[in-house]
Amino acid sequence: MAIQAPTEAYTGKIRELVLGSDTQVAVGGENTLPFYGFEGNIPNGPKIAMEVFDTEPVGWADELQAVIGDVWGDPVAWAKKCESEFGADMICLQLAGTDPNGANRSPEEAVATVKAVVDAVKIPVIIYGSGNADKDSEVLKAVAEATQGKNVVIGPAVEDNYKSVAAAAMGFNAKVAGETPIDVNMAKQLNILMSNLGVPVESILVDPSTGALGYGLEYCFSVNERIKLAALTQNDNMLQSPTISNLGKEVWKAKEAKITQEEAPQWGDQKKRGIIWETLTAISVMMAGADLLIMRHPESVKLIKQTIAELTT
Amino acid sequence: MPKVYFYPDNRGVEVEEGENIIRAAMLAGVHINASCGGTGTCGKCRVVVDKGETIKHATAKLTPEQVEQGYVLACTTQVKSDIEVRIPVETQMGDSRAALEREHRPVSRGSVLTSKDLSELFGDFDLEPATHRYYIEIAPPTLEDNLSDLERLKRELTRTHKVGEFTVDLDCLRRMAVRLREADWKVTATIMEGADGECPRLIRLDSGDRAQTHYGLAVDIGTTSVYVELIDLNTRESLGRVSEYNAQVSSGEDIISRIVYSLKNDGLERLQSLVVQTINGLIDRLLDKTGVQRDDIVYMVAAGNTTMVHLFYGINSRYIREEPYIPTVNFTPTVKASNLGIKIADGARIYCIPGRASYVGGDITSGLLASGVYKTDKLTLYIDVGTNGEMALGNAEWLLSCACSAGPAFEGGSVKHGMRAVKGAIETVRISTETLEPMILTIGQTKPKGVCGSGLIDTLAELFLTGIIDERGKFKLELGHPRIREGGGQGEYVLVWADESATKEDIVITEADIDNLIRTKGAIYAGITTLLDSMQMPVEAIERVLIAGGFGRYLELDQAITIGLLPEFTAEQVMYVGNGSLMGAHLVLLSQSARRSAKDIAQRMTYLELSTHPGFMDNYVSALFLPHTDIGAFPLVAQRVKERSGIYGSRDVR
Repeated sequence: MAIQAPTEAYTGKIRELVLGSDTQVAVGGENTLPFYGFEGNIPNGPKIAMEVFDTEPVGWADELQAVIGDVWGDPVAWAKKCESEFGADMICLQLAGTDPNGANRSPEEAVATVKAVVDAVKIPVIIYGSGNADKDSEVLKAVAEATQGKNVVIGPAVEDNYKSVAAAAMGFNAKVAGETPIDVNMAKQLNILMSNLGVPVESILVDPSTGALGYGLEYCFSVNERIKLAALTQNDNMLQSPTISNLGKEVWKAKEAKITQEEAPQWGDQKKRGIIWETLTAISVMMAGADLLIMRHPESVKLIKQTIAELTT
Repeated sequence: MPKVYFYPDNRGVEVEEGENIIRAAMLAGVHINASCGGTGTCGKCRVVVDKGETIKHATAKLTPEQVEQGYVLACTTQVKSDIEVRIPVETQMGDSRAALEREHRPVSRGSVLTSKDLSELFGDFDLEPATHRYYIEIAPPTLEDNLSDLERLKRELTRTHKVGEFTVDLDCLRRMAVRLREADWKVTATIMEGADGECPRLIRLDSGDRAQTHYGLAVDIGTTSVYVELIDLNTRESLGRVSEYNAQVSSGEDIISRIVYSLKNDGLERLQSLVVQTINGLIDRLLDKTGVQRDDIVYMVAAGNTTMVHLFYGINSRYIREEPYIPTVNFTPTVKASNLGIKIADGARIYCIPGRASYVGGDITSGLLASGVYKTDKLTLYIDVGTNGEMALGNAEWLLSCACSAGPAFEGGSVKHGMRAVKGAIETVRISTETLEPMILTIGQTKPKGVCGSGLIDTLAELFLTGIIDERGKFKLELGHPRIREGGGQGEYVLVWADESATKEDIVITEADIDNLIRTKGAIYAGITTLLDSMQMPVEAIERVLIAGGFGRYLELDQAITIGLLPEFTAEQVMYVGNGSLMGAHLVLLSQSARRSAKDIAQRMTYLELSTHPGFMDNYVSALFLPHTDIGAFPLVAQRVKERSGIYGSRDVR
């Protein structure tokens, strides 16, 4: 007698958000757990946004330089390479140069970079500020205004600046990513606050924060998974936004991804090590339910794309 | 009860005779502008009494013409019969009909928690105190009848009062020979019944007949306040109750800082003597007031949290603070009053009600005893909203307790203008949806000095409902209202302007205050949900809620629910028990079976350690939101928010 594998039907569904304008990409939309194609519908699967920085990176790992060193001084070229060579679903433009404690670029300078990148690629663009709440609200407002009609994602909106970031997104029809520090309730609270301001829930993505493998990933996994479970099993409207996992920057600052083989011979081939570190982190957050992964190394992206393909067929 | 009818609002309410018009307006949900706390000095609450009798007080705030026209100040005018009150437009501060119609926010009378029917809570104990005073006239010894003094005393006590075997205090024995002879063999023996298998004990021998002067003390040793009640152990009558700050407060506001202080040089001795001084001072006041003799107070029963009891006994409390949080003792032995320095009768005994754990002490056992939680069929939630936020859930079959370290915010601590519920404290606050102007009343209707717990809960609820703060408690400065301003790098709301406050400075509530209040309410709510989760019970399973603690007299259930301090219980479910700890001590003083029950409660209560409970932190963070992250659990609050929020400033648009 054939065995019928038990399946579960969920009451909730993750909202599907369509991003970008020229080439549109949809995220979310699933009504089951990650890769549970046998019991529900997963119209889009996890998508990958590749990182592009507005300023030339300093102190990055050698294997990153080997593959993107030729373009990392030029955000436009970098973005184009991600689109045409590396198969990125989206670009995540990180405006690290606007950090007041760093290059302190003005909103106008940031806008110039953003416009150039957005115009150069067809795939959707996510624009992340430097993480300085005050500066970000200024920069992201200008960015939202300048990219109106391009259906970009701006972020991160955090507790200290969500009012202005959300207002900018609302005013110029951008999507907004809300970032909270690894807590289901805080993620939900920020969503409530933003929707109370009038941001349609259909414009909100949730970034519940993540750590790299070996840096609290288990905890981040649980939080991400619990968000999905609440969305699906409890039909919790305020947690049904697609989730972003901004993992690239976490992975590549980990000692394990950076340290040279001479310094740590017992850890093996440095070239593979960082890539494996990023791939494993990405697989984990994907299994936890992340809908959109922000990644850095093209090899890791390739491995993840393969994994997704294998798991969905 | 007289009816007060307000128009143009067309709303009526019944109040006690003698209640002032402004409180009636609050109960009816009618907004009257009032900013001086009800002292009659701001003159803003002018209303016209069109019909009915009132008791008026002369005021310079009204012109003779106005008085002639029937104007009175709502705060100083008392209701004597059914009356009709007209509220002039300037007193409502609204300038349109629409405004007036939106102002109605009645507070249902039932939601004011009262301590009515407390006698119902007091059970049916055999009222039998642990001490007895027997007057006896003993036949003096002779050469033929040559029993020793003590045996002679025993013989007489057995003969006349059927007293069985007992032992005797050494001090008492040493004085016995002289005392008996000086008293011409006419003495009163005070015998303390043995508890926990001990033998009864002669603790005192007095000259003459003192059987009718037989007193005891019930004491609540709180972290912040100490209460002492003097009780006649023969008639069970309470002769008086007094209270005072615990003098230890000067050495730290919460128990952790007390423990830290106790570990310094002489710290423990100092804290011990401070609380003893406080209790002795209160005893002196009671003696003065009642004329009772110190030597006739033969028994004292105290209840307090575990740390307070340790410090009172002078026991090292260091390990209460350090993981795994172990007290020296939960079931403290009965000791001589003189050993602790308490100045009552020589030989008098002190007993402390046993606790369950380091952070669920005898005060909770005592409250559970007094409120009968341990013998009811109904699933009951008992909450002591003090600094430690102890609570228990259960009934006759089981009891589960926890402590959620709520912090002192509801007692006025860690809040800029917070204060205890004493004269001059703002205890009731309403904010107009239309004008965002406050309506405040103080205890004693004197000039406002600060805000007590119920006033803080009110303020938080009103700020939230009117949309002045968001769900995280952050001010919406963009409303552009003069009372909503930035001060010291954070938002704040001015409750009272300097010229109307007793302190001559603006009384404000700041974002940091709100943060503390939200943490406090969040901790208590999370404690409740964690208890329920542990039993896998829904909140609907709770049939009855008993709230102990000293917020002030007018804690309103609606407001407590609005801020998410309590789940959406109904007014019928909730009862305010006041000082449950003191009530339990009172019972134990009067009844040996109550003492056994207290011991039984402490023994069978289960303790849930929240610091290691996996679900607590999660429940806590979700409660750090107004009213709660899960708004689905608060449908009535959601409705209220919808009705009231965002009205201010939107008039022009409409």
